[in-house]
Amino acid sequence: MVSDQLLRQISDFIHHEARLCDESRYTEWEALWADDGHYWVPRAEGLDAEKQVSHINDNRRRIHTRIQLLLTGTRHSQTPPSPMRRVVSGIVVEAVDGDEYVVGSNFILLELAVQSTHDMHVWGGRTTHRLRRGGSGWLMAAKKVVLVNADEPIPNISFLV
Amino acid sequence: MRTERAVPVDYDVLVQADRVHSALYTDPVIFDEEMEKIFHNGWVFVGHDSEIPGPGDYVTRQIGYQPVIMSRGKDGRVHVVRNRCAHRGNKVCARESGNSKVFACPYHGWVYDLDGSLLDTPQADGYGAGFDKSAHGMVPAAQVEVYRGFVFASLNHSGMTLDEHLGRARELLDRCCDLSPEGELDLTAGWLKHRFKANWKMLPENDCDGYHVDFTHSSFMSATDSQAIDLIQSGAEPVVRDWGNGHIEIDFGVAYRKRGNPFEWFGRVSASKLPNYVKAMEAHYGKEKANEMFCGGPPHAIIFPNLFLGELNVVFYYPVSAGECVQLYTPMLLKGAPEVNQRAIHQTEGAVGPGSFLIPEDVVIAERNQAGLAAQQPEWMDLSRGLHREYQQDGLTVSHMSDETVNRAFYRRYKTAMQRDLRAVT
Repeated sequence: MVSDQLLRQISDFIHHEARLCDESRYTEWEALWADDGHYWVPRAEGLDAEKQVSHINDNRRRIHTRIQLLLTGTRHSQTPPSPMRRVVSGIVVEAVDGDEYVVGSNFILLELAVQSTHDMHVWGGRTTHRLRRGGSGWLMAAKKVVLVNADEPIPNISFLV
Repeated sequence: MRTERAVPVDYDVLVQADRVHSALYTDPVIFDEEMEKIFHNGWVFVGHDSEIPGPGDYVTRQIGYQPVIMSRGKDGRVHVVRNRCAHRGNKVCARESGNSKVFACPYHGWVYDLDGSLLDTPQADGYGAGFDKSAHGMVPAAQVEVYRGFVFASLNHSGMTLDEHLGRARELLDRCCDLSPEGELDLTAGWLKHRFKANWKMLPENDCDGYHVDFTHSSFMSATDSQAIDLIQSGAEPVVRDWGNGHIEIDFGVAYRKRGNPFEWFGRVSASKLPNYVKAMEAHYGKEKANEMFCGGPPHAIIFPNLFLGELNVVFYYPVSAGECVQLYTPMLLKGAPEVNQRAIHQTEGAVGPGSFLIPEDVVIAERNQAGLAAQQPEWMDLSRGLHREYQQDGLTVSHMSDETVNRAFYRRYKTAMQRDLRAVT
């Protein structure tokens, strides 16, 4: 569907974005968003965001607010930020939609809740990015994360997932 | 599960007028007694009848330690039964929600009606003529009552009617439901579920605490344009109120009504964005009453012990252990008000849930609170704030929004419940 070279560019972007999340590099992460970006963490695959409540359902303005909260230094639930590392795997271009690429990948994320219990949380799920060219490289038009345990009782997810 | 102690816990000592002992948050024996006396015997919120609109609809829930099924029978009645097969104890229903004509145990196939009564035992000739089906049902809660769609149950027997339990706090539930032009709520947008490592009482205590907001939520205060900032910084306008029986409220409506701007509580949305809602409400209640409700908004209140009406959010808890709890959230949708509901879902996502802007702060503070209690001195949790400036209004105790009037009220009821000798009752 896409050339090896294009797939390489896309997967480089996905890994870069993951690293910014892991390292809580909030401002750099926000710069990856398109002006109409949508950041969505539903309770399960296949739910209608207009009728069902989601964990995170941020339009671009709310993404900005989220980052502003984190930058205050008093977002207690991420003060200090959780050390994290994720492994991203199985990156595939699922669809090409006009000038946008729909990219799927799986992740396993280790999060150390240093701000409270010091528990190591293991998170996993599937991410679907909608990417388009812009700025100096790629921009995220949408990012959807479906956690394996999205509909179970989960701890805080106020880090960048 | 229940742990006994040779010397019973003395709640007169542990719960005093202006302080409580920190053992209430850490002691597993006290936790077991809470489950028994408050959750397994008292009235608790189980769910909402809009979650099970048709015959055979069910959701599985928990009351204290005990798994239960809340279902709608063929006769339209709401049933709450223990989710346990009468035969060998298997959890009969494993799904979180669904529709079924009967409940069938996956182990040996015993089949129960929606009200828990036993319909069929496979290969029935294995039981003698004396086998009494009516004595082998899934055991229903002793009391189940619905108030304006809110389903409450008492597993054993609370010793009071729901009406007596709610008392004047019915008004708080009325205030929610009346915001719908049809007078009814829909809790059908699904539940966000949040796990945290702190005692279950930390959050109901915190939910009506106006003292923590500036500090716990300082990131929200400084990064957003919130109507709450103005209210809190403007001083003493909102009040806290003790509704009796442990039901408590922080009433922002006092301040909203004084200002007289409709929907200040609803992200300051302009009434022109909700034309159909405004029209429907005015048609139903008349212009004046509708406007009063548009200004005052929904309550911010705890219905003892496990239900939180947090503006347009409904929240309840499952205590897990002395140091762990699960909290669930859903947007309060108003029947006949699609414009409001779309925004309500979005506001819920912003305010409550593990990834939201407000509750993760309360949760992490509660976890640190639990961690702090490991330092055993001082032994007491101070609840004296505002004792000197409480006053009576319409027969209820009221005080400044930052006062611990609400926590004292919660613990008065707590103490009454914990001092009830269940052996004497049953």
